Amino acid sequence: MKRLLYNFRQLWLEKLIFRLVTVYLALLVVLVLVLPWLPLPFAPNYLDLNHIFQPPFANVQGAGAAHWFGTDALGRDVLTETLYGARTGLFISLPVVITSTFIGLMLGAGAGFFGDNQLRISRAALLLSPLLLFPLFYFGLYLPLHIQQYHLPASYMWLSWGTLALLLGISWLLHLVLQRLAWFRYKAAFPLDMLIIRVIEVVSSVPWLILVLLLASFMPPSVMLLSLILIFTNWTHTARLARAEMLRIKAMPYMEAGRALGFTDARLVLKQALPNMMGPVLVAFGFSLAALLTLESTLSFLGIGLPPTIVSWGRTITGIRSNTSAWWLVAFPGGFLALTVLALQTFSYYLRLMLQNNSKI
Amino acid sequence: MRYYLLKRLFLAIPVLWLLATLVFMLSRLLPGSYAAESILQEGNGYYAKGSAADRATAYQQYLIRTGQHLPLFYFSVSSGATPPDSLLRLLPEAAQHNLQQLAWHIGNWQEAYTFWRTLQELQLHAGPAELQALAPFLQTITTTTNVQQRVEAARAIIKYDTASPLARKLYRLALKLQQQHRLSFMIPSLRWHGTANQYHKWLTGILHGNLGNSYRDSRSVTDIIVETSANTFWIIFISMLLTTLAALELSIKLMQPRYKQWRKAVMPLLFLIDSIPLFVLALLLLVLFASPAFLQLFPVYGLGYGYGGQTRIEQITHTLPYLVLPILCLSLAHLPYLVNQFYNALSAAESMDYTRTARAKGLPYGLIIRKHMLRNALLPIITLLSDFLPALIAGSVIIETIFAIPGMGRLLVTSVQARDYPLLVAIVLVVAVAKVVSHVLADICYAYADPRIRYQSQA
Amino acid sequence: MRKLQILGYSLLLLLCFCSKPNRVPDEVRVRLTSDPETLNPVSYTTAGSLQVINLLFQSLMAIDLADDKIKPALAATKPSIVQQDSLTYITYQLRPEAQWTNGSPVTAADVAFTLKVLKAPLLNNERMKPQVAFIHDIIIDKADKRKFTFVCDGFTPEMELLTGDFFILPAYLFDPEGKMEAFTVSDFAGDNSARENDEGLQNFAAHYNSAEYARSKDLLQGSGGYVITAWEQGQYLTLKRKDDWWGNHVDDNTHALTANPLQISFKIIPDNTTALLALKNQQLDVLENIPAAEFNQLKADKSFTEDYALYTPNSYEFAYIGLNSRLPKLSDKRTRQAIANLLDINSFIKVSQQSYATPTVGPVPPSIKPYYNNKLKPYSYNLQKATALLQAAGWQRKADGWFKTINGQQQQLTLEVSYRAGNTVFENAALIFQQGAAKAGIPVTVQAQEGSLFSQKAKAHDFDMFFRALSGNPFVFNFKPLFYTSYANDGANYTGFGTPESDSILDAYNVAEDDKEKARLLKRLQEILHEEAAFIALYYQKDRLAVHRRFTNLKISGLEPNYDVSSFKLQE
Repeated sequence: MKRLLYNFRQLWLEKLIFRLVTVYLALLVVLVLVLPWLPLPFAPNYLDLNHIFQPPFANVQGAGAAHWFGTDALGRDVLTETLYGARTGLFISLPVVITSTFIGLMLGAGAGFFGDNQLRISRAALLLSPLLLFPLFYFGLYLPLHIQQYHLPASYMWLSWGTLALLLGISWLLHLVLQRLAWFRYKAAFPLDMLIIRVIEVVSSVPWLILVLLLASFMPPSVMLLSLILIFTNWTHTARLARAEMLRIKAMPYMEAGRALGFTDARLVLKQALPNMMGPVLVAFGFSLAALLTLESTLSFLGIGLPPTIVSWGRTITGIRSNTSAWWLVAFPGGFLALTVLALQTFSYYLRLMLQNNSKI
Repeated sequence: MRYYLLKRLFLAIPVLWLLATLVFMLSRLLPGSYAAESILQEGNGYYAKGSAADRATAYQQYLIRTGQHLPLFYFSVSSGATPPDSLLRLLPEAAQHNLQQLAWHIGNWQEAYTFWRTLQELQLHAGPAELQALAPFLQTITTTTNVQQRVEAARAIIKYDTASPLARKLYRLALKLQQQHRLSFMIPSLRWHGTANQYHKWLTGILHGNLGNSYRDSRSVTDIIVETSANTFWIIFISMLLTTLAALELSIKLMQPRYKQWRKAVMPLLFLIDSIPLFVLALLLLVLFASPAFLQLFPVYGLGYGYGGQTRIEQITHTLPYLVLPILCLSLAHLPYLVNQFYNALSAAESMDYTRTARAKGLPYGLIIRKHMLRNALLPIITLLSDFLPALIAGSVIIETIFAIPGMGRLLVTSVQARDYPLLVAIVLVVAVAKVVSHVLADICYAYADPRIRYQSQA
Repeated sequence: MRKLQILGYSLLLLLCFCSKPNRVPDEVRVRLTSDPETLNPVSYTTAGSLQVINLLFQSLMAIDLADDKIKPALAATKPSIVQQDSLTYITYQLRPEAQWTNGSPVTAADVAFTLKVLKAPLLNNERMKPQVAFIHDIIIDKADKRKFTFVCDGFTPEMELLTGDFFILPAYLFDPEGKMEAFTVSDFAGDNSARENDEGLQNFAAHYNSAEYARSKDLLQGSGGYVITAWEQGQYLTLKRKDDWWGNHVDDNTHALTANPLQISFKIIPDNTTALLALKNQQLDVLENIPAAEFNQLKADKSFTEDYALYTPNSYEFAYIGLNSRLPKLSDKRTRQAIANLLDINSFIKVSQQSYATPTVGPVPPSIKPYYNNKLKPYSYNLQKATALLQAAGWQRKADGWFKTINGQQQQLTLEVSYRAGNTVFENAALIFQQGAAKAGIPVTVQAQEGSLFSQKAKAHDFDMFFRALSGNPFVFNFKPLFYTSYANDGANYTGFGTPESDSILDAYNVAEDDKEKARLLKRLQEILHEEAAFIALYYQKDRLAVHRRFTNLKISGLEPNYDVSSFKLQE
């Protein structure tokens, strides 16, 4: 950890661009956090219906204040929209990318490391867990959803979950009992790699667009829904990358040396493998974040994704479709988007450089 | 190796089957259906095009004719309160909802159904004046979740027409429903449907190579997909090839010290392109290269006229200009990502010992990259490429919409919107097959790129 | 390197020549937003396919877009109608000139065949079947094979319209083996499930339901002036005029039978921006539904208006707001009126239509002067009035909104406004309403719902307030399905509107004979609608379209598709 900070400082001192980028990103984060308290002339989502499609820097009478970046089809101030768009964009994509990278890294590294026959689980657990899938689905999901749909009292929902908890408890006791029998105690190999690979294949074969379309027809768009879909489709990418890296690292001499020295699995993975595979994963992280920021506007183009009342870059940019001459709708949020993406890429580039140097020592 | 690949393909079959089954089920869960949208939809409202009852009959006939009245799967596990599929499927969705709600509240579908039927009959036999007077009560009785309210409404109906046997029956039933055990909906019930189900029909069809017919134009799904996938395939294939080659070439160039100045200019430019949303990029290209206001180099939309009696070469030269912008657009959109990844992979290889050895031997740097580093950098590159397909498909939706090219992406969106299930499932299946093939190819490439990775073919 | 550059430049030059496709001068190029999917005259689904089928097939009566009147097409004159007991007899006479593509005459036998196809079980006809359910039988005149009478159950005013509305099919192409001759039309009236086991019918169904009858250019040939020459799915569809079409020889002026352009091409372009660019590149001759902001720019563009003429006919499509009057919180009409007073209709029109729309008080178009109630004033934004109305309806203003005790429970007045996802016009209107309602202290959430979900929720009466559009016509004003109380349970009366008086007006309108009485009834209906404020009509749109100047005789109209492409003539 100390070395990390040290390297960071070295980079900071040596590279001007890194300094610039870090300052920009830090400023952005600060801006995003304090935005609601900034004295902006217009509130987000405020409609100035007397000044629609106002070009930027124009002299406007009666608006109360000038629209520096112009206005969109409903007279919303593009400056305010751009700033708040950054807030929305980061608030959505950051948690999504962090979660999906974490899931992807864990599963991918696990699959690569354990392969098909190095993870061992007792037969009792192996048998009981698939049996639990049905009550999990029925009492955990099916019943509560229908109880809500058909307006049954909410207390039934708790009843359903209570039943589920009871069943889980019973099966845990059963597990303990079974553990006493030798046959059940025997630890069989668990084909983790194959399972994860299959799951990745299934998930990544469905284009995310279908999922978004399918889910959009179930329920109206919301931030939560969008985030879930993005996490669900995003992790496979990191997982495959992490698995491939793990396969490569496993064949490296230092891993074999570590194993020969009798290091535990956890130590091998955490101390040896993970730091070495961080490079590609981190770069993928920066790119994922950047891609998510642009993806959101693509979804707006297709008319799915975020609800129309949420300020976003995509919403403003999509406004160009109803008036192709309103260049400022693309230029300002688009420029800001590009700048942010650029900063992210550069930052992760230097970070990768740093980690690479780190592993060399 | 061959054994491994066979095993690999063999293992892919359950994945494909699972995926197709999932999409088959998921798509059937969607609200609304093609039949309901096209048959039950009222006219424009200025005059009645047929009565609601006639529409409901036509709707049922359609479902039966196309086999959509059958249960979905061999068996179903649902709450014991849910009425069986054979009953529900023939009803319009709003009615299904009302009946289900009633059944869940009562906890017994048979009694709920009797009550619901009585209510329907009452409405059918009531005259216009009567209906008008009863409207608020009928509305309450169909949608309320409160037992007391239901009884009150039934009492109000009987007050209006004391002589009607149906009204009396309704009231009696409402009273009876008051004393129901409402908790029985918690117990799951398993229903066996046998082979007379939609899934069985579909699966046997697939085994015979028949993916079904589109609901919209009753053409065979296979025909439609063969027709449209060609366009998408060429666009995706050419743009992927171009992007990969360009990215390789570019990243190799950028690795070399003498292009260091370039790197500073090219990398930010690529990042900039990457940050432009695809549809803006497409519109930008259109406005720049296909508009009289700037440069009119390419045609705006479509794939051009195919006049009969052309040779293949004529056809290709004719279509080519139409493909330039879409392919360019898709390539540009994915170039930055690939260049960056290739570059990273290469620079990781740079720090390896063999590179240092090669340099010490005094080999020219360009040659070191191509001969030594590239081979080692291939692993992550292969992973990336094999994972690229869904992104390309998603991209092709936008490209095909903007450039008006009939392809799979557009077909996918329209089939979801129109609830054309056979087509939807088939498209997902085709994409999945393409995906599996690309993963298998990736595995072969892995083995060739890095002999250290051994597929446990002997084990 | 030099060589590469030369190659590059020559390629660019080549592409320059390729970019403008050559064309036939007497060809009209029209844009379709989606593939017609099926051109079967019985089972078509989209407006685009209807436009194409109208050029291939004909119905007995047709609308002449020149004056928006219904005129005889395959029929020689308007039908004669006789009511007897509970039956209505509608008699038509076919034009003696009318003939199919192979030269054989169109006869009453073809009409009978069409009816059988429309009504028979097992066939892909469920969409049209309900429309002709009232036709019980057909009687073919013994002496004149071109004269026939429909026997209909009961009487409604739209029967005349509906009997003339379906396309007549050529029996010789659709049923070459004469399998349907074994049946009569009355065989298929009422419950006909017994016929489903008939082998002849099953054979015919297998043959008729195939994709051939949705797409084949050899089979989809009717009595219209055009035949299909090419159809590339998702790309284009071209039609060619028949060499010597019978319709061009019919002399009298009482019909709309035209087939002027030699070739008509329908280009399928889903995206609006692309279509506009194609128009500017002169790759399209006709484009309708141009976005308002773009339309204004085209208007200002001198070089564009040299080649294209722009039109803004008053359409018969209007936008309206539906309030779910069944909900306890909205059941008081004063609450609904208060909401209506928070609608800023003028801003809706100014912002989302760039003023290409006319405010209206009800579903009757303002352009139909005799029926439009001009004594009423459309709702406009009035905060004080809205507040007063809310108070009158028993709502109490508190710090965070309006509250009222309903059924023993304190309830807040909140609204969820929904519209079909992707409709930016309604999205903008909903957002404007949200801001206006916020000033009055009513929290409004705006929800875009996917098409099917939206209509499903409306049918299940699961909504607070929605934006919708309806397209009507200038000849029939039977609003029964929209406003009659019995249609409120399951039908198009989504808002649950209805008073005893409005029901009796709707009944009276259907039997009213003279125009004065009809006008009086419709005006009163508009008053009630305005007062009840459950179904609030907002504005009638103006369509915005551009047509190339080399054509005349366009028949621009407010009715879809806004022009009659078959009547286009080259400018002299």
